[in-house]
Amino acid sequence: MTSWLKKIQQSPRLQFILFGVLLSSMAILPLLGVVRSSTMSIYAYIIIYTVVALGLNLLLGFSGLISLGTAGFMGAGALGIGVFMNMGLPFELAVVLTLLVSAMIGAFIGLFSLRVNSIYLAIATLFVGEILRQIYSQVAIFGGEGINIGPVRFFGLIELNRSLRPERSLIFLILVIVLVVMMIVAYNIVKSSTGRALMAMSRSENAAQAMGVSILKYRLTAFITATLFATIGGILYGIYFQDAPTRQWDLNLSLFLIAMVVVGGIKSFFGMFLGVFIVHGLSDLFLKDWLGDVSFIFSGVLIIVVILFYPYGTVHIWVDFKRFLKYIKSKIDKRKGVTPRG
Amino acid sequence: MANQTLLKIEDVTMRFGGLIAVNKLSFDIKEKEIVGLIGPNGAGKTTVFNCITQFYKDYEGKILFKSTDGYTDLKEKKITEIIDQGIVRTFQNVELVKDLSVLDNVLIGAHNQFKSQIFSHILRTKKAKIEEETLRKKAMAVLEFMDIAHLKDLYVGVQPYGIQKKIEIARTLMSNPKLIILDEPAAGLNDSETDELEALIYKIKDKYNAAILLIEHDMGFVMNICERVCAINFGKFIAMDSPKKIQKHKEVQEAYLGKDDA
Amino acid sequence: MTSFIRIFFNSLQTGSVIALAALGIVLIFRTSRTTNFAQGSIGTLNAYVAAMLYSSWGLNIWLVAFLSILTAFITGIVIDTFIIRPAARVSPISKQIITLGIILIIVGMLPYLFGIDPMTFPRFIRTGGIPIAGATLTYNTILTVSVSLILMLLIFWFIQYTKWGLAIRVTASDEQTSKLMGVPTKTVTMFSWATAAILGTLAALIVAPTAGVNINMLLDVQVSAFFAGVLGGFQTFYGAVIGAYLIAFARNYTIFYISDTWGNVFVYLAILFFLYFKPYGLFGKKPTKKV
Repeated sequence: MTSWLKKIQQSPRLQFILFGVLLSSMAILPLLGVVRSSTMSIYAYIIIYTVVALGLNLLLGFSGLISLGTAGFMGAGALGIGVFMNMGLPFELAVVLTLLVSAMIGAFIGLFSLRVNSIYLAIATLFVGEILRQIYSQVAIFGGEGINIGPVRFFGLIELNRSLRPERSLIFLILVIVLVVMMIVAYNIVKSSTGRALMAMSRSENAAQAMGVSILKYRLTAFITATLFATIGGILYGIYFQDAPTRQWDLNLSLFLIAMVVVGGIKSFFGMFLGVFIVHGLSDLFLKDWLGDVSFIFSGVLIIVVILFYPYGTVHIWVDFKRFLKYIKSKIDKRKGVTPRG
Repeated sequence: MANQTLLKIEDVTMRFGGLIAVNKLSFDIKEKEIVGLIGPNGAGKTTVFNCITQFYKDYEGKILFKSTDGYTDLKEKKITEIIDQGIVRTFQNVELVKDLSVLDNVLIGAHNQFKSQIFSHILRTKKAKIEEETLRKKAMAVLEFMDIAHLKDLYVGVQPYGIQKKIEIARTLMSNPKLIILDEPAAGLNDSETDELEALIYKIKDKYNAAILLIEHDMGFVMNICERVCAINFGKFIAMDSPKKIQKHKEVQEAYLGKDDA
Repeated sequence: MTSFIRIFFNSLQTGSVIALAALGIVLIFRTSRTTNFAQGSIGTLNAYVAAMLYSSWGLNIWLVAFLSILTAFITGIVIDTFIIRPAARVSPISKQIITLGIILIIVGMLPYLFGIDPMTFPRFIRTGGIPIAGATLTYNTILTVSVSLILMLLIFWFIQYTKWGLAIRVTASDEQTSKLMGVPTKTVTMFSWATAAILGTLAALIVAPTAGVNINMLLDVQVSAFFAGVLGGFQTFYGAVIGAYLIAFARNYTIFYISDTWGNVFVYLAILFFLYFKPYGLFGKKPTKKV
């Protein structure tokens, strides 16, 4: 039993899988009538944003780069599969093509980032985001308001329709699986020579280059990876909601995504989920019910307070909590030590 | 067999606008030799380093480095390919990744030996795992050689300055270097740390068979450790000789103490 | 020709609006080292104040303008004192996200303070203008453009030639050293936020008659202001202002003469292209880096 626990403690990959198993309960609970079906949808959102945040974390936390165009790439994911599936292509091919297009735009930003820095780079990515947003709302193939994707057929075998409750739960499970896979992918990247090169690049370009780290290669790696994570998040949106709107992929969403990374804890993997949960989930799950419209103000205050008191993210609350437990334990031990004498 | 010339600097001039930082400088370094580059502040020492490691590419003259077949003109190599030639350097202000462990920082020094790419990393292919394992062992060996193996899992950022300098040197050893360039290795170290560094540099030379080129303001250190010393001032070559002779060299003394007008 | 001139007058006004917002953003970027995404929201908040004072309280429009500038000044100081200053030590990215928090708070407060119905705000001068080549240069445009220009010139003069302006410039170039040299950097940042809030509010009051007073009234202006910042460069205070007018003219003309659906995209792509060759904007220089 303890060796089993130890194994989990030592292997983050196992933790990710276990986490996925726990999350899967959200697919089953609505079927049993224990939680509302809308709750599952909120968790679907949380999963989607977490996937995007994982990629943004690679960019922001590990590579020291920024993107204000993330929302645009989420839109590319949802609208991309929508467009390609409307053309009659199978789902899988639509996914591959969408990812290819996104990777190309990501590579473009990566190349661009070799020339511009700091705030100029941030705003250059905002340009890309705004251009994408204009394209979504102007180009006819995106249908003006958006594209109705409809039931998705996976591998030509099973067709899932979100309007049927059991099938929606199955789609949710797919989302959970993708999330776990993406967590492992992000973790594997960070813990490899690629991850080390990204960090070396972000902390000192000169030293990195002297060690043989090509800035071009790793800028491209960082931006393409983050772009693909965002696009996959968008694709998950398309799969779950079976709809691809054109209008919600704006600067505010990009900022929210950065907020999730920062609030959760930059460079942490579970922190991404935590950040999304706090910034997005908390308000949708509880605050809106309890506080009504004040939830906006509350979220704003929460973001500010968290950043002021936990500048490295809320995952560090856990560290403080453990410290607190230790403190309590030492107090109790002391008392125990005192009583026999008294 | 006598040691051959490893690095040849021939008539190198580097200008920044109107300012000539390095002026027709020539000197060379032999294999397994410890050479000091000295000169007053602003003499152009770091600029020389930056030219050798190709941070600056628009210098005039030639910098040649011994390879398996003759000499390579370093200018033909990209900045990231310099480490493949066997040249590796440290920096004046220690440039490590503060939020990575000591071991991971040292592994960055072996970046050019990782052949597996991002896809094998994501899938954790057997080849990628073996590669990581092998280089990790190599890094551990380097850490043990440097006497800092016990710190391997700790963050670099929390280490004292002296240890950080050691980690940066450890990182250079990962790349099987033929020439290690140290930019002010003793700066900021106390006396006992400086003595330790001296011993360490001898140890490195013996074990890794590498030549060492260093800039240092601590003259005692330079004179103790170097086999030859090259003195420059205002980017110009003054003299290159054994430490003893350099100390007595009139122009070198003038460069440091000023001309005696009396 | 008529439409060319009409667009020219329009662009003068849009340019002024973007310039006001952009100058605020640059001011804060230089003194507080953060990208202020809340610039638009702060302006919007005070535009609501103005709309309420005008329609519900029935105050004179000039008095309303004055009062809303006063509230803007207070908003800026409150935000700096209670949010930005305590965050002095957080990372630049976190600081930007704090400004997102400010947006959320303002957006959340608006319905409670002013109700959920959209509001309106009239032009300062309702009618009249000078006919030029078939187009009309309205008195209102003359007023808004000249007020904006005079205000911005005043700010430049202030920054360049007064003791406090010097304090702003040295704080912008190196806050730590300035503090050690006895420059009251706290006051400088506070007044930067107050000034930026006023500039944002003026921009809001100028667009209010056409855009209406609502949560999204400055969305487009704010994004354009960021673009103006990179086009002109963040290293100077005037660069962004010139960038703003350039963007306004380029956008309005391309939208009219080339394509109304693709005009924006063309201009954005052109600026990106330009930025590739001048990565620090029209008036910016590459900072020197030491190895």
